[in-house]
Amino acid sequence: MIEADGLTKVFQDRKRGEIRAVDQVSFRALPGQIYGLLGANGAGKTTTLRMLATILQPTEGTARVAGYDVVQEPEKVRQHVGFLSTATALYGRLTAEEMVAYFGRLHGMEEKALRARIEELFSALDMNSFRDRRCDKLSTGMKQKVSIARTLVHDPPVMIFDEPTVGLDVMTARTIVGFIRDCRARGKTVLFSTHVMSEAEKLCDTIGIIHNGTLRAEGTLAELQRRYNETDLEEIFIRVVEQPA
Amino acid sequence: MNLQNVSIVFRKELLDTLRDRRTLISSILLPILLFPLLFLGFGTLGFMIMTRIGQEKLAAGIRGAEHAPTLAARLQAHPELVTMAADEDFRAAILAKRLRAVVEFPPGFEEQLRARPDAAQSVLLYYNSSDQRSDEAADDIEETIAQFGAELVQQRVATQGLPESIGEPFRITKQNVATAERVGGNILGLLLPYFIIVLCLTGAMYPAMDVTAGEKERGTIETILASPVRRTDLVLGKFLLVFLVASVTTVLAIASFSLTATLGAGLLARVSDRFVLAISGKAAAAVFFMVLPLAVTFAAGLMAIALLARNYREAQTYLGPLLFVVILPAVASMLPGIELTPKLALVPVLNVALVAREIFVGNYPWMLIGMIFGSTCVYAALALWAAVRQFHREEVLFRS
Repeated sequence: MIEADGLTKVFQDRKRGEIRAVDQVSFRALPGQIYGLLGANGAGKTTTLRMLATILQPTEGTARVAGYDVVQEPEKVRQHVGFLSTATALYGRLTAEEMVAYFGRLHGMEEKALRARIEELFSALDMNSFRDRRCDKLSTGMKQKVSIARTLVHDPPVMIFDEPTVGLDVMTARTIVGFIRDCRARGKTVLFSTHVMSEAEKLCDTIGIIHNGTLRAEGTLAELQRRYNETDLEEIFIRVVEQPA
Repeated sequence: MNLQNVSIVFRKELLDTLRDRRTLISSILLPILLFPLLFLGFGTLGFMIMTRIGQEKLAAGIRGAEHAPTLAARLQAHPELVTMAADEDFRAAILAKRLRAVVEFPPGFEEQLRARPDAAQSVLLYYNSSDQRSDEAADDIEETIAQFGAELVQQRVATQGLPESIGEPFRITKQNVATAERVGGNILGLLLPYFIIVLCLTGAMYPAMDVTAGEKERGTIETILASPVRRTDLVLGKFLLVFLVASVTTVLAIASFSLTATLGAGLLARVSDRFVLAISGKAAAAVFFMVLPLAVTFAAGLMAIALLARNYREAQTYLGPLLFVVILPAVASMLPGIELTPKLALVPVLNVALVAREIFVGNYPWMLIGMIFGSTCVYAALALWAAVRQFHREEVLFRS
């Protein structure tokens, strides 16, 4: 489970001064469900997700991820989270297997259990044909599979995806979407950020609309449709972001 | 600190570095090849040029040969000179290197020498000090004339029945108490610390950029920060790799130099038998020991600075000036007259260069060695603290 409670992030910029990238964001994402954070570029999605993955520290507020506090127990949080974004690249000079093994070891996995897990993942994701190939020699699709294996190697109960399909071709994006659904099916808590309406409609059990750093609306797709008397998510989104904060 | 995670990060970085051609070239190949190329390549070339100059006959002009027939004959017979009459335009001829030197005897020079032993005569010698061959020709002429003068004094002394010592009341005999190894050590001490320190820095430079700015450029920084490894453990694992590479570069530089000196001993013996370029095992180990905390400083300092950069190119821009900051004190150690003092023992880089110089000539000033090791360890600790701190700064890690 993810419980964000008044998460706030303030950046200091030399030219622009104080920037409240995320302001008092609170929400709950439950196991076996996909929570989608929907927002335009610069809305505060990435900063929120980075705080939940403990890559950034909140300026105010806190969150509990898999039962651990992001401020007090960041290492514990990271041990129970799989984080995937287009910014989480691979080490080009490592092979696919070395890459996954490296992260398995950093998660404290025993060598025997790690080997077994690698075999399981590489078979499930059909990665055996390129397991010894260096990551910088892999195609985009292969790289995404390695990234997926990297996030799953320690079998985390919480998965955080930051716009994972941005810049990917249709086939690779489908692999990612299938993988996200599979995570939900396995009972994991899934937090997913996107600015693509169709993806949010297809995947999310709960949608949170974020704009200018604040969470403006939240609910299931049906709830949002009822509340705004509108069927099209894009129209709902526009109305939400245009209403005064 | 989680030592297991530090070790995991270190082993991964080591594997990564061993597959990085740029690091292998700058940190492994360069120190191995530098000294053989520098000494055997350039040394052989220099020796060949010097030998050729030695064998070459130099054109020397004589003005007023009729006033000094004996001396003119001696100059004509000189094996390394080709003499000829010089006209009024001789200065231009020297500058144009048609003549290397010109000697001018005044009218009645030798006659006056014989007739008026009480009056000193003058000879004018023209040469171009910016031309090495001109210097040599002038030396040859001067030696010949000085020899003639010495013989003249002997003759005069003998004619007047005076003892020979009247012309030379005493002699100075110089005895060098330094062994050939010590003289060689002094030469080594001037040059080698500079090379070792600069190579140690350049050896650390590429891996330091690769594990910091390189991570940002390739987009792996967020991947690793999302893993459970603590940032302090991450920095230490990366630091150990950079430190290892800097240390290996230093060892290779010393080993390569020793091997080159051994292989080039024959060549050096042909140049001079007054010095031997050799590093004892004790001196090599002592210098390496003194360079170690400096390698820590370089590794951690470079990482702290390179992490500020968004990519490789920017990191190179930041680290370029640092090379001068290190080279300047290293070069200062080569200045004549500069010696290790308690004050200089606290100046980073310069202190290590100066103590290495002492060690190469066989001196071990223990108190200063302790001060230098201690102060360099303090600088190393500060650099490491700065590197760890940088990895905790979000505005540095996610600078865009």
